[in-house]
Amino acid sequence: MKTTFVSSSAVSSALRYSILRQQAELTRVQKEATTGFVADRGLALGARTAQSVTLNRDLERLSGIVDSNGLVSSRLAATQKGLIQIGDAAQSFLSSLTSSASGDAAYALTQKSARSTLDTLTSVLNTSLNGEYLFAGTNTDVRPLNDFQPGSPAKAAFDAAFAGYFTFAKDDPAAQGITAAQMDDFLTTVVEPIFLGAGWQGTWSNATDQGITSRITLNETTETSVSANDEGIRKIAMMSAVVGDLLDSNVGNAARKVLVNRAVSTIGVAIGEISQLEAQTGIIEQRVSGATDRIKMQMDLFERHILDTEGVDPYRASNRVSELLSQIEKSYAITARIQQLSILNYLS
Amino acid sequence: MSLTSALSIAQSALQNTSRQTSTVSRNVSEAQNPDYARRTALLSSTGPGARVVAIQRVTNDLLFRQNLSALASFSGQSTLLAGLQRLTLDVNGSDNATSPATVLGKFQEAMQLYSAAPSNQNLGVAAIDAARQVVRTLNDGSDAIQSFRTSTDSDIATAVYDLNKLLSDFEQANKAIMAGTRTGRDVNDSLDQRDAILKQISEIVPVSTFTRGDNDMVITTTDGITLFETVPRAVTFSPSAGYAPGAPGNKVYIDGVPLQPGTGANTDAAGKLAAMLQLRDSIAVTMQAQLDETARGLITAFRETAAGSPDATGLFTWSGSPAVPPAGTLVNGLAGSISLSLAVDPLAGGNPKLLRDGGINGAAYNRNPANNASYAGLLIAYGDRIGEPMAFDPAAGISTNSSLSDFTTNAIGWFEGMRKQASAASETKEALAVRTAEALSNETAVNVDVEMSLLLDLEQAYQASARLIKAVDDMLQALLAAVR
Repeated sequence: MKTTFVSSSAVSSALRYSILRQQAELTRVQKEATTGFVADRGLALGARTAQSVTLNRDLERLSGIVDSNGLVSSRLAATQKGLIQIGDAAQSFLSSLTSSASGDAAYALTQKSARSTLDTLTSVLNTSLNGEYLFAGTNTDVRPLNDFQPGSPAKAAFDAAFAGYFTFAKDDPAAQGITAAQMDDFLTTVVEPIFLGAGWQGTWSNATDQGITSRITLNETTETSVSANDEGIRKIAMMSAVVGDLLDSNVGNAARKVLVNRAVSTIGVAIGEISQLEAQTGIIEQRVSGATDRIKMQMDLFERHILDTEGVDPYRASNRVSELLSQIEKSYAITARIQQLSILNYLS
Repeated sequence: MSLTSALSIAQSALQNTSRQTSTVSRNVSEAQNPDYARRTALLSSTGPGARVVAIQRVTNDLLFRQNLSALASFSGQSTLLAGLQRLTLDVNGSDNATSPATVLGKFQEAMQLYSAAPSNQNLGVAAIDAARQVVRTLNDGSDAIQSFRTSTDSDIATAVYDLNKLLSDFEQANKAIMAGTRTGRDVNDSLDQRDAILKQISEIVPVSTFTRGDNDMVITTTDGITLFETVPRAVTFSPSAGYAPGAPGNKVYIDGVPLQPGTGANTDAAGKLAAMLQLRDSIAVTMQAQLDETARGLITAFRETAAGSPDATGLFTWSGSPAVPPAGTLVNGLAGSISLSLAVDPLAGGNPKLLRDGGINGAAYNRNPANNASYAGLLIAYGDRIGEPMAFDPAAGISTNSSLSDFTTNAIGWFEGMRKQASAASETKEALAVRTAEALSNETAVNVDVEMSLLLDLEQAYQASARLIKAVDDMLQALLAAVR
């Protein structure tokens, strides 16, 4: 006769395996309840762990870019402020020039205004932020604009150019006799090449044409600085330096009139160019802040996705903990009862 | 005559009962021994009264075979899972915190910070430090994989030694059984021992058995390689003292036939030998190839280019520098030999600015000859190259055309996908092993309560027989008294 048979060792070890499993799960769920994330990403996600690692890594990189975009934004804001200062200085220089051209103001006043414009220009262009010169292009550890003062190379170069063209120095009595045509030719053929042409780099400016390139999103780069070599800036530097220098000399009135008139038209153009530059800088600022906003949105999405894939509902997890605890307690109780259950207790 | 026969029957009953009691007591004493099969004393009637003919051992061949195969599967799967857990901790760290993918991300971040402020040399040094971390992770990972292969190799040697030992134990038990069976002795204890040895063997290699005359057992692996036939067959393996990347491992030969390693994460390897071979020769080797390809990707991404000059290795160098390793081809052991260029590494007296400007291989490669402090073009280009698709060797077992940064995360995906499958498979195979063991135990092991109730019966029978003898004795006494 064959009947159902249960061995004693099977009875006593029946719950052992399930208790082990429950305890293993308890340690896992405890961790999940306290961290809010799955205990072992690899086991929970399998091959999708690749995605999780990518998301977490990109999240860190994006927050790095947000930080570096902050740096770029502050550079652009300072640049914008500098450009406005230069524009204002050029504007007041222009009004002084106009009144001088119409004969309302003395040349001495205009000369002072030109000097102060050049000073403003020099100090603004040589502003530095975090140890980097703002307007230096990429050559940020060298002052972008050299001084124009007695003894400086720029001054010496200009004096030499003057003497080279007229064969006498600007303070020479012969300068009184410079004609309007001569001055006009001097401005066009000598001064303009110095400032707008090849004479600028090195003598006047140490900046590079190329601005600083920055990565503003994971795959977008843009130039995020303004160079002192910009055409408008060069024109203001040219006119403020030449007017400031030649109105303080023996140059005669005919030539002065030509000079001032040329300055009026050039500065007028330069002001337009500076505001163009301001607009461009504004556009870049906009682009960077737009990029930062986009990145932050992206980061939110990433975080939400990470929570969706790796997060666990803390309430469910803690429920599961108490459920498991009571299950394990039940198992213990049953095990103890089973151990007591023996026919030996009834044999005497 | 009938009184004498009653007396002798009662005597024989006493003897039977005591033999049965000894069987019960043996059963009770072995109740918790999982390798013990329950005995029953079979009574068969002969001429005057009953007589014990045989002590039978309860067996269930089908369940036993099932249990053997479940044990082999579980042993293989759990060995594979344990190996995977160890590899992931050794190479990728807990939660992949020190994986190549993660340190590469940190390096990219440091490069991004540096490219945002290239004039700040501290950031340059920080970027190089992050690069050093990447190099160290690759070097350490490569070392860890090779030492894993070496230790697995010695585990294989141990398992092979155990297997040979078990087979020679098996020979002893088998001989005892054959001799006992021929002479009609009780061979149950030897049978127990032989079954226990079989269970141990099947944890190492999967076995199938058949029994010939005189209870002689033949063992083959499930692939049909003979393990034991009259005498144990030699299992041979020569361990290697150390492993270099790409070096093949020695095979395990059973009776001259090489044992096949397992394949797949839900492995078809039964027994731990096949699983260890799979870990040593397939998984660890693929992982090493992934690290090597990551190293090659890094060297390639940071190569220096110049018009009219050949491309040359930059920040990351290898034994073949300044040549860049050939595209799309695995270089064995590259992850172990990749290093930072001494010309750049500030700890080795190098100039960190070379990372920004280029020119590690001489002035021809310098992209920033004017030494402009905020030149970021090259740094940004390096960052772009990490994200550009490149060709990877198919030996790495994952995407052959992806960006370096995707390649590293794909490697994690490959590994974790496998670990998840292995873990799930291990759970089901463990459950099967536990279930079959329980079923087998229910069929063949002892229930103390049953034995005790049997004992009660035996006690009754004994008392009855004793009472009978007493009664017959009384009768004989009465008879003799009448005669006297």
